[in-house]
Amino acid sequence: MKKTPLGADLVIPAMALGFCAYFFVSIADLAWEAKANGLVIGSVLVLLIAIQVGKTVVQLVRRQADLGFGPLFEPRDVLGRRIGMVAVTIAFIATLKWLGLTLGLLLALFAALWIMGARGKALVILPVAVSAAAYLLFVVLLQSDIPHGPIEKLLS
Amino acid sequence: MSWEFLAGQFAAQFGLWWVILPAILLGIVVGILPGFSPQNTLIMLLPLTLAVPVEQAMAFMIALYCANHLAGGIPAILVKIPGSGGAAATTLDGYPMTQKGQAQQALVLCFTASVIGGLITTLATIALLPWLSQIGLYLRSVEMVVVMLFGLTLIAVIAGKDTLKALIGGFFGLLIGVIGTDHIYNTPRATFGFLELYDGVPLVPALIGLFAISEALVMIEEKMIVDQVGRERALSARWADTVEGLRISLQKWWHIVWTSFVGLLIGITPGAGASIAAFVAYQQSRLWSKHPEKYGTGIPEGVIAPEAANNGVTSGTLVPTLALGVPGGSTAAVMMIVLQYHGMVMGPRLFATNPEVAYGVFVSMAVAYIFMIFTILPLARYMSRVVLIETTYLAPIIILVTIVAAFGERQYLFDMSLALVFGVIGYIAHKTNYHVTAILIGVLLGPLFEQYLVRALRISQGDLTVLFSSTLGNILWGFLVLSLVVPLWRNYRISRS
Repeated sequence: MKKTPLGADLVIPAMALGFCAYFFVSIADLAWEAKANGLVIGSVLVLLIAIQVGKTVVQLVRRQADLGFGPLFEPRDVLGRRIGMVAVTIAFIATLKWLGLTLGLLLALFAALWIMGARGKALVILPVAVSAAAYLLFVVLLQSDIPHGPIEKLLS
Repeated sequence: MSWEFLAGQFAAQFGLWWVILPAILLGIVVGILPGFSPQNTLIMLLPLTLAVPVEQAMAFMIALYCANHLAGGIPAILVKIPGSGGAAATTLDGYPMTQKGQAQQALVLCFTASVIGGLITTLATIALLPWLSQIGLYLRSVEMVVVMLFGLTLIAVIAGKDTLKALIGGFFGLLIGVIGTDHIYNTPRATFGFLELYDGVPLVPALIGLFAISEALVMIEEKMIVDQVGRERALSARWADTVEGLRISLQKWWHIVWTSFVGLLIGITPGAGASIAAFVAYQQSRLWSKHPEKYGTGIPEGVIAPEAANNGVTSGTLVPTLALGVPGGSTAAVMMIVLQYHGMVMGPRLFATNPEVAYGVFVSMAVAYIFMIFTILPLARYMSRVVLIETTYLAPIIILVTIVAAFGERQYLFDMSLALVFGVIGYIAHKTNYHVTAILIGVLLGPLFEQYLVRALRISQGDLTVLFSSTLGNILWGFLVLSLVVPLWRNYRISRS
């Protein structure tokens, strides 16, 4: 019999539990008004997580499940693209200060589209059109404080 | 207030079509983009609105505000990305309708529910203004705790098969919502040392991460967001589908009316907004439905309820602003600045000293809604074609453009990183069936719930019985218990039969 991979199901509870522990530590010395709500919510959350863990343990003991993380990474054929998109986004945010909105978005969109398998004219037209629209909206029209790079400086 | 006066006001507002139409178009554009709230846009355009006569300024701001509320539902329906918190509940049934190839119909339902809901509540506000302005005085922190609980019960309602997972998601969201300084002493809690989190978790990055980024990371598994049947339906989209959407809207007119009044009543309360109104209306709509099990699968009522409610809020928000001088929300606060700049004194006297401005605001809103239906309804057919774009192009654009939009609300680079973190949490939640909407409800309502609860407990010096100390509050508690018991009783009856 194929076992249900339940490891992935415990990721959110693990994150929630870790955050809950940090939350309790951070409010330990505060007045009751500041911690009452968080304490109640956190306590209920811990209880719910305990039930979820209990359910998982029961299934593990009955050998109906294992601690596999399969569902998080499936389907495997798009995993590379998914990781690539996250990596491009991190790089975009990290370099935004230097590249500015327009150039940063142009390069990031080009890279993301390439990772997704786009080729030909669309690979050039889409990044140019989207970054130009973003420049017009954020820089020209709304004059937001988004970082300016070489293109914004050149056009100003 | 005479009929002649009202007719004159309507005529004057229709004459401002050249102000209202551009405002509607701008409102739709910024409403579609998550991260652009109407108040941010209005603040940016403040120099313009301060420079023109007050009637034109108000007509512009009101039309932009209403169009913004309406447009938030468009990306919520088409790509499961709510343009604002008020449209988050629209994703629950709007996106499933799109996946079934009914995007055009869902958009028409969204537009008509928004416009009819907004129009009816605006007209009701004009007629009942003196009485409505008193409601805000009766809904105090004790009653608002119960209203918040109405919204929170939706976590259990949307749970579907796995209530435990939804509750974990909801309470995780609630705890995230408590991040930031507390409401009494301003001491920071769980901010990870980031100053940017002292004001709490900003809604827009949470919304973008949990919905837009996580959805984009999931949508790349398929070539398109709709299946073959849906694609064929979108390709053969005709005006007849728009007419069909209109027919369904008219058929469900009563649903639009009562859910829009839920929005109006919540909107009157300062601090509460479109998000809570939409979730409460959705929850109530499901509760009193003859087929609650169909909610979440893509049914018209699931689109109508939140959209009618979040546009019902628009007139409600302005009631305490004009009648009491207490802004009902941040957009209303910006409008108040403009009115005060032009020498208007907010409060009951405004209706005696400047009735053409006081009532004109609501008449302007009604006229904006009338213009809106003719402007946006024909676009539904073309907007629905978005579903024909391959995810190869759609996903990178969604991720990167919404990451940029996350910057919009507070202008912090930190918010872009925060959106990505929420995106990863949302992706994991999505893949493991921890409802992202449940997490968002927690993040959205957590701070509001705490604010009202602590305020009530502070007044009673920690005595919990204060929560049962008012007649209206107790009636609301009764309704809350009823809304929890009725589904259980219904399930019991079904299982017995």
